[in-house]
Amino acid sequence: MKLSVLHSLFDAAALSALAPLMALAIGALLVLLAGLTPLSKAARGLLVAASLVFAGVLNARILLAEQVPGVVLDGVFVADRATAMWGLIFIAGVAVAWLFSRNYYDEDSSHQNEHDVLLLATAVGMSMMAGARDLIVFFIGLELLSIPLYALAAFRRNRAKSVEAGLKYFLLGAFAAGFFLYGAALVYAASGTLSLDVFADPAQRAKVLESPMALVGVAMLAASVFFKVSVFPFHVWVPDVYEGSPTPVTGLMATGTKAAAFAFLLNALLALPTSSATSVALIALITMAVGNLGALLQQDVKRMLAYSGIAHAGVVLLAIAGAVGGDPQPHGALQAALFYMAAYVATAGGAFGVLALLESDGERMTTLDGLRGLGQRRPYLAAALTVFMLSLGGIPATGGFLGKYLVFSVAVRAEMIPAAIVGVLLSVIALGYYLRVIIAMWMQAPNEDSPLASTKPIAFSARLASTACVALVLLMGLLPRWFLEHM
Amino acid sequence: MNVPSEHLFFLSAGLFALGVLGFLVRRNVIVALMCVELMLNAANLAFLAASRSHSRADALDLQGPVFSIFVITVAAAEAAVGLALVIALYRLKQSVETDSASEMKG
Repeated sequence: MKLSVLHSLFDAAALSALAPLMALAIGALLVLLAGLTPLSKAARGLLVAASLVFAGVLNARILLAEQVPGVVLDGVFVADRATAMWGLIFIAGVAVAWLFSRNYYDEDSSHQNEHDVLLLATAVGMSMMAGARDLIVFFIGLELLSIPLYALAAFRRNRAKSVEAGLKYFLLGAFAAGFFLYGAALVYAASGTLSLDVFADPAQRAKVLESPMALVGVAMLAASVFFKVSVFPFHVWVPDVYEGSPTPVTGLMATGTKAAAFAFLLNALLALPTSSATSVALIALITMAVGNLGALLQQDVKRMLAYSGIAHAGVVLLAIAGAVGGDPQPHGALQAALFYMAAYVATAGGAFGVLALLESDGERMTTLDGLRGLGQRRPYLAAALTVFMLSLGGIPATGGFLGKYLVFSVAVRAEMIPAAIVGVLLSVIALGYYLRVIIAMWMQAPNEDSPLASTKPIAFSARLASTACVALVLLMGLLPRWFLEHM
Repeated sequence: MNVPSEHLFFLSAGLFALGVLGFLVRRNVIVALMCVELMLNAANLAFLAASRSHSRADALDLQGPVFSIFVITVAAAEAAVGLALVIALYRLKQSVETDSASEMKG
């Protein structure tokens, strides 16, 4: 290949589009190398933080610039305001998981360095998925996210539950990857291209989807991505994997993975014909119902949040259904999904993080019983968890409320009133289990049989993360204008 | 000898079905891993067959072969993590059957 070809590919726009990914990738490699040096834990932590902040700044630069890089690298990658915003959401998710993980691992803390490398790698993968305009790039991003997560899920390798979670996630994830690839091969065989632009153009799309081969291929692709976002009927793995994984990692799976897959689905599903809006809405509502009813039955708060995560995936899918069904506002669904996922990253990331803090006290106290009387014992943690629960339930003055409002207004604008009504009703059911957590913490006497463990002081990093999450949830609820202007 | 591309597609579909079936039927984690590899390689074969049927003598379509090279790379990384998980399971349970990893409700 001639060098001039490379020059024309890697022009200034391509470099600025890829800069956030490179900051994270280089950061991951540096942290890996730093593990070989006698650098202290704090110094290595500084390296991780610097890499995350730097990548965040580079994303903000794209977000605020007059001119975005747009489609680069011969049409396989795109960097615009939406992908920059997604990038910030991913970085926030990874940062929250990282800050809460700092003091989480006790017997495995000697491997914190490897843990941080894997976390940074997932951020690169997520950003690649969001910007992919080509199935090869998307697949590599997907695996760059998934393979580190398999290892992270099993990170507490002396605990049977953690290894079990990692193994289950790995086996099902690899199985889904197989379906993704075979689907991609069928689409390629039928259409002769791996570019997603084929599906963006209605005329070309209709021609490709005439062939049954391509139809089967698209179905296989959709199934494997639905697996990642945990949409019905591909959600059965979620409760076990979320329960067994280390809690900060669970937070990242619930927020980051879901956001990255939705960033892709928003592009891909918008290519569906308007007639399929009803079926997408139906899947969304069933997902919400399965998640909410499952959550109602749980005693373990971590497992309850896993089911609630399934329900939240259904809510975002409802926004996509609205967009497919002809929402007249061009970026309505994108804005709703971005805002919803941004609020969800702060809320669920913070909620899993607080659970991680309560757990690292030594006692397993993630059951509802264990939370009783937390308000008197640890008022700050209980207050933070209360804010998160209210936001997950969609109470006004929190980011979660506005996110739900935006999603349901997309559905209403698309004239899918019944779907919106059922969605709102399902959200009201959800309040039942969120409020149970709040009641247990503030209104019930501590259970003497399952005593709360010592009030171990909370590390600075965890305090920073939980404060930032609470602040973000409230800011998004009270002053949403800044966020909406940039989404 | 010139094998028609359709035959390659049928072969790859057969291999893929075999992989899916094996994954669903067998309880041994290592066998499940092998079945996943079979699925990935079936996809590789389909990519190469598709690339062949899209290529003409003067214009080769290289997207398929490039994708399959990436798939081989990713499959290697996946196998490394997968086998590490198998070893972690064996250290805890002295077994590599999926039934030994069923502490949670499923």
